[in-house]
Amino acid sequence: MLNHEYDGIREYDNPIPAWWNWIFLGSFVFSVFYFVHYHMGNGVSVKDAYAVEMEAIEKVRAEEALAAAKNVSEEKLAGLMADPAAVAAGEAKFKTVCVACHGQKGEGLIGPNLTDAYWLHGDGSLMAIRDVVINGVVEKGMVAWGKTMPPDELNKVVAYVGTLRGKNEPGKEPQGEKHEVATN
Amino acid sequence: MQTETFYYDDDIVRKFAGVTILWGVVAMLVGVIVALQLASPEFNFGPWLTFGRLRPLHTNAAIFAFAGNAIFTAVYYSSQRLLKTRMFNDALSRAHFWGWQAIIVAAAVTLPLGITQSKEYAELEWPIDLAVVVVWVIFAINFFGTIAKRRERHLYVAIWFYIATIIAIAILYIFNNLALPVFAMKSYSLYAGVQDAFMQWWYGHNAVAFFLTTPFLGLMYYFLPKAAERPVFSYRLSILHFWSLVFIYIWAGPHHLHYTALPEWASTLGMIFSVMLWMPSWGGMINGLLTLRGAWNKVAKEPVLKFLVVGVTFYGMSTFEGPMLSVKSVNSLSHYTDWTIAHVHAGALGWNGFMTFGMLYWLAPRIFQTELYSKKLAETHFWIGTVGILFYIVSMYTAGVTQGLMWRAFDETGRLMYPDFVETVVRLVPLYWVRAFGGTLFLTGMILGAFNLGMTWARRPKKYEVPAQEAAPLPAAYDGPGPQPMFPADAEHTVLSVYYRITYFLRAEWHRVWERRPLKFTIWVAISVSTASLFEIIPTFLIKSNVPTIASVKPYTPLELIGRDIYVGEGCYNCHSQMVRPIRMETERYGEYSKPGEFVYDHPFQWGSRRIGPDLHRVGGKYPDLWHVRHMEDPKSTTPRSIMPPYKWMLTDELDFASIQPRVDAMVMLGVPYGDAVNNAETMARDQAQQMASAIEKAGGPAGLQDKKIIALVAYLQRLGTDIKKLPDAKDGKAPVAAVQE
Repeated sequence: MLNHEYDGIREYDNPIPAWWNWIFLGSFVFSVFYFVHYHMGNGVSVKDAYAVEMEAIEKVRAEEALAAAKNVSEEKLAGLMADPAAVAAGEAKFKTVCVACHGQKGEGLIGPNLTDAYWLHGDGSLMAIRDVVINGVVEKGMVAWGKTMPPDELNKVVAYVGTLRGKNEPGKEPQGEKHEVATN
Repeated sequence: MQTETFYYDDDIVRKFAGVTILWGVVAMLVGVIVALQLASPEFNFGPWLTFGRLRPLHTNAAIFAFAGNAIFTAVYYSSQRLLKTRMFNDALSRAHFWGWQAIIVAAAVTLPLGITQSKEYAELEWPIDLAVVVVWVIFAINFFGTIAKRRERHLYVAIWFYIATIIAIAILYIFNNLALPVFAMKSYSLYAGVQDAFMQWWYGHNAVAFFLTTPFLGLMYYFLPKAAERPVFSYRLSILHFWSLVFIYIWAGPHHLHYTALPEWASTLGMIFSVMLWMPSWGGMINGLLTLRGAWNKVAKEPVLKFLVVGVTFYGMSTFEGPMLSVKSVNSLSHYTDWTIAHVHAGALGWNGFMTFGMLYWLAPRIFQTELYSKKLAETHFWIGTVGILFYIVSMYTAGVTQGLMWRAFDETGRLMYPDFVETVVRLVPLYWVRAFGGTLFLTGMILGAFNLGMTWARRPKKYEVPAQEAAPLPAAYDGPGPQPMFPADAEHTVLSVYYRITYFLRAEWHRVWERRPLKFTIWVAISVSTASLFEIIPTFLIKSNVPTIASVKPYTPLELIGRDIYVGEGCYNCHSQMVRPIRMETERYGEYSKPGEFVYDHPFQWGSRRIGPDLHRVGGKYPDLWHVRHMEDPKSTTPRSIMPPYKWMLTDELDFASIQPRVDAMVMLGVPYGDAVNNAETMARDQAQQMASAIEKAGGPAGLQDKKIIALVAYLQRLGTDIKKLPDAKDGKAPVAAVQE
């Protein structure tokens, strides 16, 4: 007990617990090593680690795109259009992400009407639609879905959009050029 | 020796205690409202009572009104007794009290009106900031004046912590709030982008340190041993943890900016100093808990001690969690999620709240000079409060980890599992209800406490007794025992002298000398705080390579600038970050990561700290203008499950074109190269608004938006993060790395 008191409060002078001292010291040692390793030694910086990871992923992406391109054609997509399960899956996805701009029935809202015969990008063929869905039309606000949608799912969405063609839902006025496409 | 008679001023303590209770109820009530607003957007009542405007009101009320007045209650009660004197000047005490309450009222009025600097916990605009500084100086004069006329030679550890609070808060508050006024209630931060973010979190982190930690440790060192009637566990530990805390805390701010455009060396310093801060913080916890050795039987009986024990325990939890969250890899998961919200509420409700309640219940019988109205009710308050905290933090930990994991989840094709941000939000809504429930329990406890303390006050005597105190004045010169000499008379060897120096240092007798020299003590506190600050601040401002310039980054157009001010005024930063981190899940979701050079004209920065909605740094050009118009009018029309409140009035409120030129002029004064806009900002803004409005109308949107607020806001949003894509060799919206680091 120390021989002073403040408003009745007295103080012991107990030694500091050893574990406290050791952890405190340990945190210093850790900190020095950490700083030296990451800023003077071989530690990989956040941005370099990111670059390495992305490089590996770009490679995988490129291979995937190559494989997917081989696997898909107008005919194959048309085949999907004839598969009710695939179209239903495509519709479900369409209802979650596309309707905000293209409307519940594809009649157009912020984005163009998908049910008429007029097309802004491409000729309205399934492959052309697929191209727009994958790469987007970034300057007009169409998202490049290829980055977030797996190829199978994306193809089903394209198939569903294919079924909308020629339905001529009343909505946004026609935009772009007229391309009559064989509809179902 | 001749003694003097004097009287304590407990009237001022009663005043501060009363408003602590009042503002506590208000702060927690607003907390429950903002919690409900996240659970269901119907609880937003625009334009004044939206989440973006109320959340700052909640944080400011909890920190500066509730905790602030609690601190002053503790300081005014304990300092007089620890220094054996009345406060320096009664008029200053009253000026401090009324000035502080006026500031709180000003905050409560201006924040819902959208008058804000948009820097977290520093939202108040410049005239109120000036008032804060004046009141703080009044407090400081009163406090140091009291020390000067003390009748106790040595300063007790609680007083050290109060000194650190007053000095550090003054430095932090002034330097973070430096701004150029544009209008009576609008200013632009002197700093921009990276530097502004750095200053903000240097302040933001240390507001936690020196407003919510050091004064509460001072409170603990007085009220805990008093209530437990036990001596403090270790004087030596007090010294070591006080100085290590004061010195180390200041460095840790950049841990709020991991993986951002802040230079990595600063981020690393923030992390390692946070790790080193663990034990200094726990020193306070140990000294609190071990003081109770031999008094645990009292804890079972006394609600006061229960509050204090649980408060100190939450302090220990939070100060372990803090260093853990500051580790970069942990932070990459926790940052921008509710984990942070859980962490701060464990601290705010558990530590600040419970320490305050413990203090108030202990003080009530003493300052109101009657028995506590109901000990049983205090006990009930304790249990409701504890259960409330548990509901709160468990739901928020779950929400934080859930959302963090959902953001980073990839499927087997390497694509984001939850590319729609809203999916990760919808998942949290049930937890938001649980959080609101926990918060309501805590508020209920607070109301019970207010009732209990109010009833105690109602039973006060007609006239308070003011007992006379007796103490001898301090002789001019210290005449007690001094420290033992550093070297024994016979020591001559140099090797031995090192040994003696070390043992002298460890004996801590030198510190006893400091404790009777308040000026020296205060100067050393100021040196500790500023040295650490300058080590980080100077390089952040002076080393050019920290913020490599990007040639294509240009100032905002006049229309975008006022749109940005609308964004700031609505408090969008409370839910949306503008900082894409260099992490795969972030760049996949949002686009290229944010570069320091992109923010050089951002006075103030808008990086945000929590993503209740998605990051917006790359939102520019992502959607058509019409999408934004529809989305602001009714977010559910574009994102059906969105919890964002509608901002319908943006489509009808007139845009104040006349105020644009002064805004541009202020930016020019801050060094933003505005070119032509210096002379015809308003015309430029009208032209751009007209063009956009026509295009929106043509695209099928509403007509006549050219003079509405929405047009400026959309202009700003569409500009966000796009300059980097205009670099000559930019490809696919990605900036060439070489150009960025030129």
